[in-house]
Amino acid sequence: MPSARSGSLSAERALRIGVGGPVGSGKSSLIAALCRELARDVRVGVVTNDIYTTEDAQFLRATGVLAPERIVAVQTGCCPHTAIRDDITINLEAVEELERGQGPLELVLVESGGDNLTAVFSPALADVQVFVIDVAGGDDIPRKGGPGIARADLLVINKTDLAPFVGSDVERMVADATARRGTLPVLALSLARPPYARAVGEWVRARLRTFADEGHLHSSVVGTSHPHSHPH
Amino acid sequence: MNAVALLLADSRFPAGGYAHSLGLEQAVADGLGPGGVAPFIAARLRLVARPEAALSVAALRAAHDDDALAELDDEHAARCPSPVLRDVARRLGAQLLRSAATAWPDPAIERYRSASSSTPRPVALGVVAAAGGLDDVEVATVALYDDAATVASAALKLLGLDPAETARWLAQLAPAIDAAACEVAGDERPVAEQPPPAAVGLELAAARHAERTERFFVS
Repeated sequence: MPSARSGSLSAERALRIGVGGPVGSGKSSLIAALCRELARDVRVGVVTNDIYTTEDAQFLRATGVLAPERIVAVQTGCCPHTAIRDDITINLEAVEELERGQGPLELVLVESGGDNLTAVFSPALADVQVFVIDVAGGDDIPRKGGPGIARADLLVINKTDLAPFVGSDVERMVADATARRGTLPVLALSLARPPYARAVGEWVRARLRTFADEGHLHSSVVGTSHPHSHPH
Repeated sequence: MNAVALLLADSRFPAGGYAHSLGLEQAVADGLGPGGVAPFIAARLRLVARPEAALSVAALRAAHDDDALAELDDEHAARCPSPVLRDVARRLGAQLLRSAATAWPDPAIERYRSASSSTPRPVALGVVAAAGGLDDVEVATVALYDDAATVASAALKLLGLDPAETARWLAQLAPAIDAAACEVAGDERPVAEQPPPAAVGLELAAARHAERTERFFVS
């Protein structure tokens, strides 16, 4: 138990996936869609980092995809990026409380408060992380880059159905993102159109299998500048 | 001057304080304006932070005595009738202990962390300060300064103030903080014989704050 409490990786606890990205890009909708994809056979819990209201948690509870007690909200005192990167103690406490109360869980999704392009999860909070942007935010966003776009384990470009209406070029966004990310995956999709989040669900299932087999995951966010410095 | 005291007082030390306004958010919702924040901080110093600092000093002295720490946990509960504020203290204490257990490999921290079910922050701070080698005056100063600085920092987000202005409030309060720290450290009475926190208004407001659906801060 001490290793799990100190936040180091251990298969004795649920896999933790961070979901970050700008306000309105579809983080909550992605989590709801993932719960629909996974909750039938995976025990899922969700921690939301709401900015002002408990709207994100209420939205998820209202979708009925998870039992209400599997969804908890934490307040971050106007510091959404701090709560996932610089001082993650609030989220670690929330995740562990959720696992103690509702456990054993296999997967905990931590939704960051909507922030700018610089916010990424600490590897001590999220084993791997998904960064969500959308075509309506401007198709130059992948080119602008930032740690979430360049290094998140998965980049999701949402709302592809809106591209013709907002003058965004999805192919260009994927190409720009791929140029920044090398071999790291990029998924362009619309959570409003079938097949919804199926591809993201498959990505998550693959991470769950690896985590169950090996007890830990290698995140692309860890050790980018010093590839061999992270302890195992 | 002690670098460990600076580290513990630094809001960059990961202990979750940034998510708390210590009652200021509800006070602002109830009508407190920018001119009321410095008096609010000074009142907390007298009525809440000082009695809590006494608990931190006592915990520092008792950091290797499990039974004495358990008694201080009970003493905190007895002095904090609000279940909302008890829960806030428990969470803040747990967050401090979590990071401190990594920062200082002192078995006393891990022992208190697993033995205590309530981990009130004032007691947790004393245990951590002992591991860091602080003395009575230093832990009292950290406790008092942290309370004031947490409210001042929240004020920037709630009221849209000039950050240099809130720094001025803290600078003006510094002599009172230092004096209170010396008095608390010099008080040899058991905590049970010292005055308890006396801010019923804050206790009542905390319950209303916890029920709000729209808020930035945990407390």
